[in-house]
Amino acid sequence: MEYLTSFGEVLFFIITVLIGVLFIEIYLYLHFKLYDKKFYFFIPLISIFIFYLILKSINLYSTKTMFFITLGEILFSYLCVYRIKGKNYLPYMLVIPSFIGLALLLVYPFVFEVYLSFHDLKLTTILPWKETGKIPFVGLKQYINVFVLPPLSETTFWQLLGRTFLWTFSNVFFHVLGGFILALILSEIKMFKGIYRTLLVIPWAMPQVVAVLSLRGEFHSQYGFVNIVIKKLISTFPFLEKVGVAPVNWLSDHPLLTCTLINIWLGIPFMMVVILGGLESISKSYYDAASIDGATYLQKLKYITLPLIKPVLLPAVTLGTIWTFNNINVIYLVTGQAGGTEKADILVSALYKAAFVYNRYSYSAAFAMVIFLILTIITFLYSKIIKVENT
Amino acid sequence: MKKSKIKSIMLHLLLIIAVVITTYPLIRIFSVSIRPGDRIISTDLSIIPKGATFISYIKLFKETYFIKWIFNSLIITLSTSLIGVILASSAAYSFSRYKFFGKKIGLYILLFTQMVPAGMLILPLYLMIMKLNLINTYLGMIIAYSVSSLPFSIWILKGYYDTIPRSLEEAAMVDGANEIYAFYKIILPLSTPALSIAFLFNFTMAWNEYLVARVILYNPKSYTWTLGLFELQGQFITQWGMFAAGSIIITIPVLLIFLYSSKWLVSGLTLGSVKG
Amino acid sequence: MAEVKFVKVKKTFGDNLVLNNINLEVKNGEFCVIVGPSGCGKTTLLRILAGLEDVTEGEIYIDNALVNNIPPSKREIAMVFQDYALYPHMTVKENMSFSLRLRNFPKEEIEKRVNETAEILQIKHLLDRMPKQLSGGQRQRVAIGRAIVRHPKVFLFDEPLSNLDAKLREEMRIEILRLHQKLQTTMVYVTHDQIEAMTLASKIVVMNKGVIQQEGTPIEIYKKPQNIFVASFIGTPTMNFIKGKITLENDKTFFIHKERKFFIPSYSFPDSSKYNGKEVILGIRPDDIILDDSKIDKENAISARVDVVELLGPRENVYIKISDKKTICATTHSFNIAPHTEINFSLNYLNIHIFDPETEKRIN
Repeated sequence: MEYLTSFGEVLFFIITVLIGVLFIEIYLYLHFKLYDKKFYFFIPLISIFIFYLILKSINLYSTKTMFFITLGEILFSYLCVYRIKGKNYLPYMLVIPSFIGLALLLVYPFVFEVYLSFHDLKLTTILPWKETGKIPFVGLKQYINVFVLPPLSETTFWQLLGRTFLWTFSNVFFHVLGGFILALILSEIKMFKGIYRTLLVIPWAMPQVVAVLSLRGEFHSQYGFVNIVIKKLISTFPFLEKVGVAPVNWLSDHPLLTCTLINIWLGIPFMMVVILGGLESISKSYYDAASIDGATYLQKLKYITLPLIKPVLLPAVTLGTIWTFNNINVIYLVTGQAGGTEKADILVSALYKAAFVYNRYSYSAAFAMVIFLILTIITFLYSKIIKVENT
Repeated sequence: MKKSKIKSIMLHLLLIIAVVITTYPLIRIFSVSIRPGDRIISTDLSIIPKGATFISYIKLFKETYFIKWIFNSLIITLSTSLIGVILASSAAYSFSRYKFFGKKIGLYILLFTQMVPAGMLILPLYLMIMKLNLINTYLGMIIAYSVSSLPFSIWILKGYYDTIPRSLEEAAMVDGANEIYAFYKIILPLSTPALSIAFLFNFTMAWNEYLVARVILYNPKSYTWTLGLFELQGQFITQWGMFAAGSIIITIPVLLIFLYSSKWLVSGLTLGSVKG
Repeated sequence: MAEVKFVKVKKTFGDNLVLNNINLEVKNGEFCVIVGPSGCGKTTLLRILAGLEDVTEGEIYIDNALVNNIPPSKREIAMVFQDYALYPHMTVKENMSFSLRLRNFPKEEIEKRVNETAEILQIKHLLDRMPKQLSGGQRQRVAIGRAIVRHPKVFLFDEPLSNLDAKLREEMRIEILRLHQKLQTTMVYVTHDQIEAMTLASKIVVMNKGVIQQEGTPIEIYKKPQNIFVASFIGTPTMNFIKGKITLENDKTFFIHKERKFFIPSYSFPDSSKYNGKEVILGIRPDDIILDDSKIDKENAISARVDVVELLGPRENVYIKISDKKTICATTHSFNIAPHTEINFSLNYLNIHIFDPETEKRIN
């Protein structure tokens, strides 16, 4: 049965990983513990040979790789004998397996991405690359293209940039506003609080794919809930039609607005939960003192609530901004199918489409670098703001 | 007295409106999923449609690879979470307990990886996996997913280990255990909450993931449920009924697990995120 | 300056009866301390006076005006909270002037009042600091200052000293006393600490389980507690309570506990004949047990064994075993009593308290 074989596949994989970890540990242990023995120099030699065998068997062998491995092995052995000398090796043994994984799966791809961005890998050059590992070098051409050529077919980089900022700020604004109002209301009532809280968190708890695709369905021009209600309203109150209320082709005419509405629905619960936590941590006696001092409800909000939830709000807003900026999911799920529109794309979704729909790999690599730089600048600015707020 | 009663009613009213907004889409999905076969696409807004049947559910199981999709997702997700937690628990332990050269750098690298946008790494990962001929396999997916799970798990577990007082291990060592023994027999059992949280987080992330799967899996048989459900809601041909049925089947357990463990998760979030 | 009156005040939280028919008058300029164990309702009573809670039944009068439906800010009261409640993001000056700024007082008036108050409390040098930079005692002063600046008719204190360490508490007690002498405003002070009550109050109100047990001056409460609760609550070390029977022998009243026979002169217990043969509870404070040989009533002295002796510095607590299960405590300054020795003692007949075991009320 199919299921059994795939089950077997994965079991095999897990065992392989465990064996791999075991090998790493043995490797490390031999190097660390036996550093002072006379026969130690055999160990690096054997290790290099084993690496050679492994590389050959998974088809990743090349003289360049072998050279680096030999170099690394010699360096490591040197460290073991002359620096580490068998002391304090336990933490390394615990940490290194994970970090090897990280290096392979994070650091190497990142470096590879940089490499790609200076070359020209696309649909036409990908087969040669697979065979020979070579792609044409083009210097900064890709980076220039990022700013000059549209990633997909029409929208330019600058349009995308602007749209991304618009998307990010309007979403975060409504997330915080909505979350704040709901949290305020929740903090004032006693009955059913738990039930409300649980039900209000559903947009966050639902799997995103289900939530987004269903809401997308509700914006369908004929069968979606939104337009059905609008049609019903118009038939009950004819005057609305004269004012301009009419069913809208949400997905085709206003994709960005649709995505924004969907994302707001998704994002408010998170803010609500965070702000509610902050509200509940404010000691009641501040409000009592303010009552006695004569503050109205709004004054209490302004002078007590807002200043005291800042430490909780600021990290949440920062996180929220970065997540929203990077949110490919909603845009892609709503507009990403074949025949879907470009008009709602933000930077990251255009990046994804350029890479996997248009197969412009190197272009995307450069594009990704640019986006990464923008993000770093934003994060840096944010952390500066937070530091200023905290003093 | 009266003023506060009116205020209370108004607040509850607002909350009820908000609850309707958050729960209505789910209810709609449910009603669509039980629509009878000949009126799957309709403008009917009723919650329990006339002639409600489970035919969409049956069609889902018969005409699509729904069961296989869920199975695929399960395998990939479980493996990723297991590996992630196993590797992370030891790595996090050394970050928490020991001082060693490279510790600071290691922590910064972990932080750094959280900041890199997911989109950036999909491309090189895809190319790597393609070169290894692991496209469209479980293995490829698991490799791709472990990327995000490791740093996050290490972070959460480290935060938790930091709260366990060292005097426990010291007591064990005075009693004669060595460090590894102390780790396995004392620390690990105590960290079950954090291990479960890390496992749960990894599981949720991998389970609901769409974009990476889209890139790596192209055979409908090997889809995860996210890809499968997306297929059912194409641009031109929308299988409303089956899509809704599949959605309900996936969402209900997820919601229940989320609600059941929500108190836990919140404390887990704060554990990992309290940093200077 | 104003009078405060509670008339038939009742307060329930759901099913929970927290205040039961409270009637209390605080006169103009009085320092009234409401004291009692946790949960007795004293804080609730204070909060009701402040307007932070509503009454279920009853009326509150400040300065002869009914204030039940008047919000806290309009009652012309000021409150000092247990955790000070200083707005953490405002400076001391801003904290103190907050209420005045809310009422749009003219700037010069605000300056004047804040400076005056800072002068009185000696916190002028702290005006530009933030609360988190202050010590506990300093924060306390700022909290008091915030109240003074309002020139209220009544000051309310909610266990203000319980977050301070012992030494600071002593200092602040004196400060508050001085403040009252200077300002002469009516003060209502809630605490669970009977020492604060005894030292600060011109009138003490002892509360337990939502009911006023007794009200009076500190001396009255100390010397003539009206029931067992008040007797046990006020006074350190706690009063000794001994269960026993009253018997009359030839016109002389005796209190019998196991084999011990205590003589009670008639002026101490005039109604003794009514209780002949009945069980009563005898209360005697540790410092009313006479151990000094020169002062003992030799005729009626009791002999018993010393159990433990506690040295406290200025005095000793001597624990005397008068029966199998009963040890009583006496205080002395003689420092020559050793444990497990026999000792003679008699009671200070002026300060004997007799209570009815069922009603727990005083009967002498």
